[in-house]
Amino acid sequence: MSLEAVKVVVITEKLIAEKVCALIEACGATGYTVVAAGGKGSRSIRSANRARVVDEFSNVKIEVVTPDVAMANQIAESVIDEFLNDYSGITYFETVQIVRSQKFRR
Amino acid sequence: MPHPANHWRVTIDLLTEILGRFLIQFQSPALAFLLGGILIAACGSRLQIPDAVYKFCVFMLLMRIGLEGGIEIRHGEIVSMLVPAVAAVAVGCLIVYLGRMVLIRLPGVRPDDAIATVGLFGAVSASTLAAAMVLLEQQQARFEAWVPALYPFMDIPALVLAIVLANIQKSSASGVQRKKIRIMPIVLESLQGSALSALLLGILLGLLAHPESVFETFYDPLFQGFLSVLMLTMGLEAYSRLVELRAVAHWYALYAAIAPILHGLLGFAFGYIAHVLTGFSPAGVVLLAVMAGSSSDISGPPTLRAGIPSANPSAYIGASTSVGTPVAIVFGIPLYIALADWIFGSAA
Repeated sequence: MSLEAVKVVVITEKLIAEKVCALIEACGATGYTVVAAGGKGSRSIRSANRARVVDEFSNVKIEVVTPDVAMANQIAESVIDEFLNDYSGITYFETVQIVRSQKFRR
Repeated sequence: MPHPANHWRVTIDLLTEILGRFLIQFQSPALAFLLGGILIAACGSRLQIPDAVYKFCVFMLLMRIGLEGGIEIRHGEIVSMLVPAVAAVAVGCLIVYLGRMVLIRLPGVRPDDAIATVGLFGAVSASTLAAAMVLLEQQQARFEAWVPALYPFMDIPALVLAIVLANIQKSSASGVQRKKIRIMPIVLESLQGSALSALLLGILLGLLAHPESVFETFYDPLFQGFLSVLMLTMGLEAYSRLVELRAVAHWYALYAAIAPILHGLLGFAFGYIAHVLTGFSPAGVVLLAVMAGSSSDISGPPTLRAGIPSANPSAYIGASTSVGTPVAIVFGIPLYIALADWIFGSAA
């Protein structure tokens, strides 16, 4: 019933979340999930729920389940090329078990 | 020629005047809450103001300022705004241009960071403006209703110029043919920011609708209370940003401590010219100086982050939020009011 797939995770600045999501869709993904994120990285500590004078500098975690490794690589590479030189963020893969695999294909 | 002793007396009078203002100002709610916020953050307090509350405070403040402006503009004439508006644009651009010339030459300062920092200091802080308006209103000082509407005239040109300069800098450094910068998207993004949207909507509603009842029962009475919460949040944020500022060149801290006062005096000078030319009110001159001395803390940073992505936000936000804004409120506002009292008599 379940099938193995690759999940790409991008944790980055909220400011560019919309552009990252557009890029993910352009790579052929059918959908993605965005959640608020906080934590510590090489640049600074970012809190998830404290008042920030600049909300756009809070972080988000964007997750996208891809049907094949090629698409996962393409998404990760284009996000890194386009954004992660200037903006803070990390990206990594996870192997997940998906059900209803037709939801992840166009 | 006046006797030299008179000069001394005038100087001493002015200093006593400014000192007296500081003492009063330190006890004013806006400043007390700002310093209180810094104090408890330094003590490691876990007090937090939720993000949504902070945003609502900003909305309340700017909607109230906008509504009042709109309601009064309806009865007044707006043509006299022209000269001060030109002065606001000139001050915004001058701050960025002159600041860049100075800051970029300092050791350990990256050009991108320098330009983003001066852009932020050229832009306007809504909370600083609100604090100054409260103080002037408490002293029954009258200023033209359209004065708060000068905000975007200084804010947007400063941000646009900073982004344009950063792009020129980048292309001349890399030697690559520079891309044409489109200015309209930057202007549009500034106008769509939360602070300016609320201000402009308020002005529009005050101008076209009759919001007097809701203004008198809701926005006006709650204004000072919300300002105190906002100031507390700014204080908490100022302290937490100090840590980031320590990580970048110390020149930013020095710039952030001196620049607000110099910028304010520049704004005051331009306001004075407008006063001579068109009879711009003394309190209006003070508010123009406050705008010039303030550095954006709400809408400016995301615009700059998007426009100059290579600049390090720790440098410009640390400089602005942890040093620039407290200096602009604590030292700037009383200084300009005292100066106005001295130059224009008791009008301000």
